[in-house]
Amino acid sequence: MKKNFKIISLSILILIQLIIYQYLIRVESSILGWEITNLYFVIIITFSLTLKALLKTISKQYPKHILGVYFIIAFIVIVLIYRTIGIYVTSIFIEGTTFKFSVVALVSMTLYYYIQKAKSGEKIYLRPIAGLKAIEEAVGRATEMGKSVLFVPGISDLDQVETVSGLILLGHVAETTAKYEAGLNVPVSKSIVMEAARETCRESYLRAGRPDLYYDDMVHYITDDQFAYAAGVNGIMVREKPAACFYLGKFYAESLLLAETGNSIGAIQIAGTGSPSQIPFFVTACDYTLIGEEFFTASAYLSKKPELLGSIKGQDIVKGLVMAAMIFTLILNGFFQAGWVGFDIVTLFEN
Amino acid sequence: MFLKRHVPLFIVVIIGLLTLFGNFIDNDEVKNFVDNDATQWFDIIASFAIFLGSLNMLKLQILKIIRKHKNWQYSILAVLGFAVAIFAGFFYRGANYIVVSNVNEINLLPIAELLTDELHLENQNTVISNISDAKDGYEIPKIFMTQSGAEAFMEKLDKFDVNMEIKSKKWGIHLQAKGSLFSWIFFNIFTPLSSTMFALLAFFVASASYRAFRIRNFEATLLLVSGIILMLGRVPIGELIPWWVVAILIVFGVGAISAPWIKDKKIFFGLVVGGIVLFLSVGFSMGWNQSPPQILLIPVIQDWIFDYPTTAGSRALMIGIALGIVATSFRIIVGIERSFLGE
Repeated sequence: MKKNFKIISLSILILIQLIIYQYLIRVESSILGWEITNLYFVIIITFSLTLKALLKTISKQYPKHILGVYFIIAFIVIVLIYRTIGIYVTSIFIEGTTFKFSVVALVSMTLYYYIQKAKSGEKIYLRPIAGLKAIEEAVGRATEMGKSVLFVPGISDLDQVETVSGLILLGHVAETTAKYEAGLNVPVSKSIVMEAARETCRESYLRAGRPDLYYDDMVHYITDDQFAYAAGVNGIMVREKPAACFYLGKFYAESLLLAETGNSIGAIQIAGTGSPSQIPFFVTACDYTLIGEEFFTASAYLSKKPELLGSIKGQDIVKGLVMAAMIFTLILNGFFQAGWVGFDIVTLFEN
Repeated sequence: MFLKRHVPLFIVVIIGLLTLFGNFIDNDEVKNFVDNDATQWFDIIASFAIFLGSLNMLKLQILKIIRKHKNWQYSILAVLGFAVAIFAGFFYRGANYIVVSNVNEINLLPIAELLTDELHLENQNTVISNISDAKDGYEIPKIFMTQSGAEAFMEKLDKFDVNMEIKSKKWGIHLQAKGSLFSWIFFNIFTPLSSTMFALLAFFVASASYRAFRIRNFEATLLLVSGIILMLGRVPIGELIPWWVVAILIVFGVGAISAPWIKDKKIFFGLVVGGIVLFLSVGFSMGWNQSPPQILLIPVIQDWIFDYPTTAGSRALMIGIALGIVATSFRIIVGIERSFLGE
């Protein structure tokens, strides 16, 4: 905290300056007999000095992150220039999407920057995720019990990112089952997912050095219908009693049907989904649940590839930026409602 | 390697970028591609892929029967169901209907009476006007699954001197026409089975709630209390709970939280009883019987829990998920993430 005190103080000073200048320019046309237009020079000098002091402090205390800060400042400058000049020229953007595009560009730049940093050799710490660590334990348990492993990749097609994330995890689970020589059963509800899952499993068995254990029908189609699929998978669970069940993909109302049936047969269960409404059901019925973004970090966590780890770090930085933006919006909107500033920041988010 | 890795990756990157920019760039062709063409391509590919899936399902079930695997009897049902659905979809339409033409003025009323009685129609006059207005014949508003059923109905109209013809709904339309074999299977077998599966959720929710609400630690207790308040606040009985019940419960709650720090049971008991007496006497003296403070009303507490802590928690979760999706999409679009291609 002590280390960051100067940075925080300077940031607050910059914020206060911005608010005062904005107020002076919009509300007070003159101050102590001086026309505000004559004070532009003073404003620019004081603002530049504070910004310079902030950047110097950051570069001294966080030399590795200074490039990222320059990136963000460059981005803000570009957006400001675009917003100032853009209204005089015909925009290539669909009306009202400029802000969204700016956010996408900022997020992409941040992710790219941290990917590059990770590639250049910077070590990135990932906190332990119990659900991912437990995959090996679950497959090991199935091997010891002489039972199979059941993997359910959700009921959505390959156009959903959750399904893609599920397949990425399937690759890891398949590699582990190949190493342990445990049986793997992957019932799917979409034909395209079936083909992709087969390809993933085949490669994983090959990578584990056990292509002889792979057969196409370990990934098999049941039906496209939601509840018919749930009934089919529940039937497999009750008849074959797998020792480990994985639910990793996009789920809807069938999540609890599957997880409770898995619970009733005493299987160790690991779930992960991007559907916020289904997470409570999985948390209740499963042994481990990958909550929210944990599910999407699985690929990086398991592969340990620097470029993937870098994107996770970038994702966390974006989350920090989102938090800062929320606080900034809250303060500015409060000032607007109090009549201290003339710009309503909420209008930016209306489109 | 080129066909299995590079070409799919190239397609993913190009289509991903095009779809992303299609949301922002003001270009009709790009927008049309993103909104219509791309989704239609996906639908076409998915439609063809369904053959792969259904053939795989059929193959596995037949092999199970031939090799007499464990529980092979269930596979007979699966194969039979598949065969019947194919038969109803491609070979047997059902969906027969009768077209009546050449109706005299004299027969108009008795035919309308008969149809109204037989088909339980509401307005006889509407039937009369429909028969008179129909130039290419009047289509009787009943669909028969079999031709013999339609013929049996025609026998009732034989006494009138009219032309009658049995027709069938067109192929394709018959899938949704009530009275076809396919729709009969859908509404009488498939829908009840789906509803049964869905209804199972009620029981599973009960068992899952029991497990979640078991008091093991502070968080589980908090969940239990919030759950009870939410359940009570959403039913009419919640509004009837008086303020003093809620006040006593609040004192009990505070007592439960502070219990670990107060070792002497007598002091603890005295504090709880004193708290209740104090709370109630303040309440009665301030006339809370007539207008209780909002904080002591179950529906208000329920609304607050739902609007603030729950919304805040779920939004935090959603922001995390959205960022995860953005990061994964970015990795896929720039070609860093290739695990889904088997790498």
